[in-house]
Amino acid sequence: MDKRMVAAVLAFTIVTVFFFFSIFLIHPFGEPGQVRMDDRIIENTQNESASNNGVTSVVFDYRGFDTLGEATILFSAVAGVIMIFRRVKE
Amino acid sequence: MTEMTRIVKTIANILFPFTMIFGLYIITHGHLTPGGGFQGGAVIASGCALLLVTYGSRWVLTRIKEKRLAAFESMGAIGFITIALLGIVFSMVFFGNFLAGSNLLFGNVPATGSTLADLNTGGVLPLMNFAVGVKVIAGLFVIILIMSYASSIKEWGQ
Amino acid sequence: MGVEFLVANTVMLILTVIAAVITVLLRDLLAAAIALAMMSLLLSLEFFILQAPDVAIAQAGVGACLSTAILIIAIKGTKRMEDE
Repeated sequence: MDKRMVAAVLAFTIVTVFFFFSIFLIHPFGEPGQVRMDDRIIENTQNESASNNGVTSVVFDYRGFDTLGEATILFSAVAGVIMIFRRVKE
Repeated sequence: MTEMTRIVKTIANILFPFTMIFGLYIITHGHLTPGGGFQGGAVIASGCALLLVTYGSRWVLTRIKEKRLAAFESMGAIGFITIALLGIVFSMVFFGNFLAGSNLLFGNVPATGSTLADLNTGGVLPLMNFAVGVKVIAGLFVIILIMSYASSIKEWGQ
Repeated sequence: MGVEFLVANTVMLILTVIAAVITVLLRDLLAAAIALAMMSLLLSLEFFILQAPDVAIAQAGVGACLSTAILIIAIKGTKRMEDE
């Protein structure tokens, strides 16, 4: 058994152990974990962001940086596609 | 892609306006019902993909240029960031909701616990939904349009 | 959560896994793309059952339509059958 095989088995074992740890440490499906942030957002979303839809107020107001990153990803994807296929133009 | 038959064209002509109306409904009611800018933009881009598959990319490229679509995409991004930066100016917070509670556009504040659908609420959320919607429509459609046009050319790849 | 919720949830998950396995096993890449679209549509129904309509709309629009269109365009530009 050469060194690369030993390294591969070692890496596989470590990843599997951490995977099973994270599976057994996750909280049960359907039961909420920490609810302080949820309660604060649910109580204050209609006063602060004036919107009936709590999900949209979280996406665009409370967690706006997430949407900004998503917009950046889409922009870079479009820029990459146009740059790759630019020399196709007749 | 080449053109499809008359049956596909007829069905696409019937289905395309309904798809557009549904997507615009999801975008404009983003602060009241499930959905938002990204979801509505994906639905409208799906309708445009139906048009692209049916009529071919050359027909679509005679109607709208991809540079114009890229300009729309950039305009959506710039509008989104501009609204986010206006939050710094008016309410001292990046992404601040400066229109909520004012008497300007989208200024009403619903009572806590009410589920009445008032379109004139939300502050900056409808404006951000619109900007992200324009951005997603133009971005996803220009990706498919450019790829379809590139694959319809014979010399590409050799 | 009632019994009907559990039954619908389980049936939808099993159908999703079956569609994913069909996608992997097919040698025809065009049919595999269509099976992937079917898996994505079933996944969006599963999201809707789990009361996340936002994610369901996004999955149905992007996963079932646009990514399928991109895959079919890519298959049209290359080869249809997967070789050994």
